[in-house]
Amino acid sequence: MITFLRRRIVSSAIPLVFVVLGVFVLARLTGDPVNLYLPLSATAEQRAEFAAAHGFDQSILAQLWDYLGQVVRLDFGESLRTGQPAGEMVLTAFPATLQLAAVTMLIAIVGAVLIGSLAAYRPNSLADRVASFLSMTAASIPDFWFAIMGVLVFGVSLDLLPTSGVDGGAEVWVLPIATLLIRPFGVLVQVVRGAMVSALSAPYVKVARSKGASEKRVVFGHALRNATMPALTVAGDLTIGLVNGAVVVETIFGWPGIGKLMIDSILQRDFAVLQAAVLLTAVTIFVLNIVIDICYALIDARVRQPVAA
Amino acid sequence: MPSSAPPHGRGLVLATAVLLATSACTVANSEAGDAGAGGDTLRIVLAQEPPTLEPCESSLTGTGMVVRSNITEPLIERDPTTGDLEPLLSTGWRQTSPTTWTFDIRSGVTFQDGQPFTAEDAAFTIDRAVNSDLMCNVDGYVFDDSPLGLHVDSPTKLTVTTEKPDPILPLRLSFVEMVPRTTDTEEKVREPVGTGPYAVADWQTGVSITLARNDTYWGDAPAYPRVRYVWRSESSVRAAMIAKGEADMSTGLDPEDATEENSIAYPNNETTALRLDGTQAPLDDIRVRKAIGLAIDRQAIVDVLFDGNAEPAAQLIPDGVVGYNDALKPEPADLDAARRLVQQAKDDGAPVDREITLVARNGQFPRVAETAEVLQYSLGQIGLNVKILMTDTAAHLVYQLRPFPKDVGPVALLIMHGNQAGDAAFTTSQYLRSDGPQSYFGTGALDEKISAADQLSGDARQQAFADIFAYQNDNVAQFAYLAHMQGLMGISPSVHYEPNPATGDELRLAEIRPADGDAR
Repeated sequence: MITFLRRRIVSSAIPLVFVVLGVFVLARLTGDPVNLYLPLSATAEQRAEFAAAHGFDQSILAQLWDYLGQVVRLDFGESLRTGQPAGEMVLTAFPATLQLAAVTMLIAIVGAVLIGSLAAYRPNSLADRVASFLSMTAASIPDFWFAIMGVLVFGVSLDLLPTSGVDGGAEVWVLPIATLLIRPFGVLVQVVRGAMVSALSAPYVKVARSKGASEKRVVFGHALRNATMPALTVAGDLTIGLVNGAVVVETIFGWPGIGKLMIDSILQRDFAVLQAAVLLTAVTIFVLNIVIDICYALIDARVRQPVAA
Repeated sequence: MPSSAPPHGRGLVLATAVLLATSACTVANSEAGDAGAGGDTLRIVLAQEPPTLEPCESSLTGTGMVVRSNITEPLIERDPTTGDLEPLLSTGWRQTSPTTWTFDIRSGVTFQDGQPFTAEDAAFTIDRAVNSDLMCNVDGYVFDDSPLGLHVDSPTKLTVTTEKPDPILPLRLSFVEMVPRTTDTEEKVREPVGTGPYAVADWQTGVSITLARNDTYWGDAPAYPRVRYVWRSESSVRAAMIAKGEADMSTGLDPEDATEENSIAYPNNETTALRLDGTQAPLDDIRVRKAIGLAIDRQAIVDVLFDGNAEPAAQLIPDGVVGYNDALKPEPADLDAARRLVQQAKDDGAPVDREITLVARNGQFPRVAETAEVLQYSLGQIGLNVKILMTDTAAHLVYQLRPFPKDVGPVALLIMHGNQAGDAAFTTSQYLRSDGPQSYFGTGALDEKISAADQLSGDARQQAFADIFAYQNDNVAQFAYLAHMQGLMGISPSVHYEPNPATGDELRLAEIRPADGDAR
């Protein structure tokens, strides 16, 4: 297991380094932030002074070297936009995104397992067809449209929920989670259903039934465990997508998370905040990948075997 | 195969329930508290969170909207409707020589932290905003980076000297928000102290800003004890918040979200136009530039794309700004005349089929992409070859400001210019001078006229700038105008407020009161 983990950590860390370097370089290719932060009539001297004060007058390599030196000291620089420490801004925003992603994925996984299993238990039954239709629809609805419709229908017309914001109790979570949930839920139901249909027709299920195991045990004890691997893979990808910033939801509902922060940083060429946000999400995704790999290994012994074996 | 199954379902359901139960109470990065259920709190929804509340950045829309005349105040306030300058922290001012102005400072005023406001604070503030290395936005925007001489004659008298005669110095100073002399001079501040009717009570980054009424305010107390700003990027969500009663006021609604019940239209001093690069063929031929002006059906664009919330334009400033020329009338579209001009240019060797890039910015104004497409079609109708480039703000600025990008061919840049200062000098110095930061080209004669007009005051100033706009249209034609725009402000029936041309940049809270007329 230790060997397996070490191998996975090394292979996951390589993309992390490339993402951080790539964002650093690509961000600087998108344009000069000086114009955004100085008055339109600023003189050439003032522009040069601003660029020098923030290191933009150096070569990209020199800037990268300085940046890496700062990162080693956990200094992520200062936001051009707000003047606040970039690391602090990112760490303040990230928990709100994590909360949203965690609750959404838990609901999506539980719901998808139950409904996907139910649909697979009697393929082509009415329940299966309804589940398939609804999950396909959910996976296909554009989230921005769903969000705006949710605001207009449940927020304004029916007056059941707040339109947006984070002031209040459970009700403020409903529309953001529903918007975030539809796609992962739809996709996961499809994946669980497909995997369960295969698993339920496998010989070991017949053996279990012939040994007198209850249907509940056959479905959830035997078939589901084997159907978990593909579902886990897809759920991992979907979770990574959410952690990377629920941009649409955060923008529409005024959710103070990292997705909105990243978009604003890109638009405002706020490199320090953008880099800190990407670094944090990349590390989170790195950790998530390791956790998912550990889950694989726990579920399937074949995964944790050393290569030589 | 495993012989027994872990209780996946129950565990996950339990975990979900626990997570929901715990997280339902509060969202990370937010504090439970003053959500402002109406009544005592005026709730305003903005399009974006202010990046800072630094007073010397208050010429930035996002910052000025919250700060100006609310948290901090200037010496002099400009009436956005009449253009008249009115006393605020200065009770009177006079020009004692061409380069010297004296300001009487109001006594009995204190900052929100209890310090008294004197001429020394006024001098400190102007010095910090204009003469320091802070790179304040107001410095370049209003003062062209010209240093000012400051002398405190007494606690109630301040003398300001300029390098050159400046007849509109009081107007320029109306953009400088006063701060106490203890304010940081090395770094910009995020939450200022001022003399205004409200003080910053709470700023939850990413969530809200709350202002509380300043009980020591020297003037009349505003109607609402508290004001809470939140921000939503989507116009439809802002409109929904007004409809549902979650917000009392909203900035910048899109036409499709605005109704008679939830919004008011108001002229916002913004003018849209195509800025034509007359240094590049075929736009270096004035006949081609004039043909572009003739090809645009302004009235149709206003009626169809802007839902009537605009007026066709014939100059870069709207009525109400000093220098507006009311004799200039928008040209009706005349495709035949435009085609003739293009043909004449072509006959004289102008490469009229050379591709012109029409650069516009996403979100510049409602339906900007559709407007760009209409312009592309119209110019195609007269024989020009136009492609559209939609950009974000940063990329648009590359085209907007000197030094302009090279090797991009002829460019027609869709601009939206807001003259919030109320004087044409702020437009001509930027857009009409041959070396203006936002001007492709000009002429020596035009530069001389602008320099001469800058030195004038009163009616002579008005007439000189009006002549400049006529001269620009006849002899330079750098711009093909679209419209003087209108803003749409969301407003709940429970609130009384009359928007003015400055509302988009400066929302004076003291002018807002409950519709029933009672102070809270």
